This record gives sequence, C-alpha cells and structure tokens, in this order.
Amino acid sequence: MNPEPAGPGLADPVDVAELVRGAQRGDSMAMHELLDLLAPYVGRLCGPIALQDGPDATQEALIAIFRGIRQLREPAALYGWARAIAVRESVRMAQRASRSLPVELAEVPAPGDPQLTADVRDVLERLSPQHRAVLVLRELEGLDERTVSAMLEVSTGTVKSRLHRARRSFQKAWER
Amino acid sequence: MSKAWQSWPVAALDPVRRLRVMAAAIPGAVYAEKVIQAPFDTVWSVAGDLEHELPHLLTDVRSMRIVHREGDRLEALARGRLGQRARFDVVLRPGWCWMQSRFLLGGLAATPEAGGTGTRFAFMGGLRVPGVRLLHPLLETVGESLGTQVIRRLEQRVQRR
Repeated sequence: MNPEPAGPGLADPVDVAELVRGAQRGDSMAMHELLDLLAPYVGRLCGPIALQDGPDATQEALIAIFRGIRQLREPAALYGWARAIAVRESVRMAQRASRSLPVELAEVPAPGDPQLTADVRDVLERLSPQHRAVLVLRELEGLDERTVSAMLEVSTGTVKSRLHRARRSFQKAWER
Repeated sequence: MSKAWQSWPVAALDPVRRLRVMAAAIPGAVYAEKVIQAPFDTVWSVAGDLEHELPHLLTDVRSMRIVHREGDRLEALARGRLGQRARFDVVLRPGWCWMQSRFLLGGLAATPEAGGTGTRFAFMGGLRVPGVRLLHPLLETVGESLGTQVIRRLEQRVQRR
C-alpha cells in the first residue's frame, strides 16, 4: 500500500531543490513529491530509535519538517536538517513512552540465527533512546563523533561511551 | 554496511498519517478522520472511485471526469453545481488520493485499522488563496462540519456496497 520512492542519494539534487522551493511557495504537489522522498528516509531514522513509536515519531518529525520548510534557506541542506529533526522527535517520543529503561543484555544473537530479525529489535529495545540515536547517527548515517555530540547536545566522551556499549551489544549481529 | 542493517526496523508512514502531515503543514486546511466499520477494500472502492463517487461525497461537485492518466498521476476536470469548472492534478494510489487545482486542494486517505476491525478514513480540504492563514479560525469551524459530513456520506455509500 502506498509505495514510496527511494530517499536521499537517488534523487537529483536539482529536482530536490526545486521541490523545496515549491513547498516553500505553498505548492502542495511539490510538498507531496517531497513527502515521497523524505518519508522513507525519516522512517529509517525513526524506526530504530523510536521502535514501536516509530510511525508516530515519523509523522511528528515530518510535520515539524514541513511546518518549518520555509525557514530552510539552503535546499542542499534538506536531508541534514530533516535528519536532526527526525532524531530529536524520535528520541523525545521514545522517552515520553517510558519504554526506554535500558536492561543489560544477557545474550547477543549468534550469527546465522534465523531469529536475527527479531533479535536485532530485541537488542535495540535493551538500549536507551539516546544510545540508539548515537548508533543510528554513527553507523547508519556515518557521522563523526563531534557532529553526533553537537546534534544530541552531549559531550564527545558521552557519544564514545554510548557507542561503545551499543557496538558491544551489536558486535555479533554486525559480523554477519 | 553489513547485512544486519537490512533487518533494522523501519517506520512506515501509512496514508492516514501522511494526510495528517499534509493537513498540519498547510495553512487553513480542514481535516477529519474516523474509523469506518468496513474492510479497507470496500472503503477504498468507494473513496478511490473519483468519477462516480466524488460527486456523492462533495455536494458542491456535480461531475468529475478523468481526462488523462499516467501511472498514479491523473488529470481531472471537475464541474460544480453552479457551473464552475476546475482542472485538478491528482495522485491516486491504493488508500491515497491528493488533488490540487488553482484554488482548491484536497486529500483522501484510508488505512486498515490496527487490530483488524474497520478502516481508518481521513479527509482534508483547503484553499489556495492569499491570506488563508487569517481565515483559519473560520475555516476550522466550517471545515470540521464539512469533514464530518464527507465521512458520513462515505459511510452511507460504503453501506450500499
């Protein structure tokens, strides 16, 4: 239902800039196209951070993005700007849901385990939203520690320690 | 990137949530949603049939004719009760319809309700005119009634199927 085209990296930057300008002018068809591009990207960020609240976090992040689109002066900055909003909204929503108490992992799924898909989620659920945000920004988005610390408003030392713990939890899954 | 990333949870934006985003971002938009006690396919067979059903849902519309179709992109000509005409750009997908003319815009969305009972249906309408932000309080009052009426008419049409 409602198939969505690909996100960043596959869209022509010139086309994206034109869509941003159209959305800023209030052209709803441009907004519609931009939503097609952004929704999968925002969903990939909000999913691992907000988990069961991922769809609501995606919705709230996209509302914040489109309500604020007029303030985006440089269309080329769209994805970075949207990423910051998506991470902020998904951490906020996961914290509010009070499902974020980190629990020590007893066991990490073994490579080849057919239940790994479920186990990846299980590993994520045992991390706090902030840990999950660090993990997503460093490993999925490839940001450096300084950028991550600025985005999450924590020290680089905190980013390193959170990342260390998260990576340790995920080590075997990454080895697949 | 390892294969493990491919199994990470991805949050999907269903059509109703998508319409909430559009409604929240468009100044002066009116919005309503309700769970209709009918399967998704039945609800969308009505809501997505623009030529035959839209005139029943929107009483100001006398006829709606699709004049061009390319994938999910349509061009439609609407005629109002007072004889006015409008050309609409339309995106039509399962559970989703977005329309824009020079002065009007609108959206319909449907998603199977979690738990398997019924279909969540949403309607949005808006004006593309300067100063629409100033009219928001008025449109909100009128629009809530309009949205409720559209959904009520849709329920009646669904019950006939």
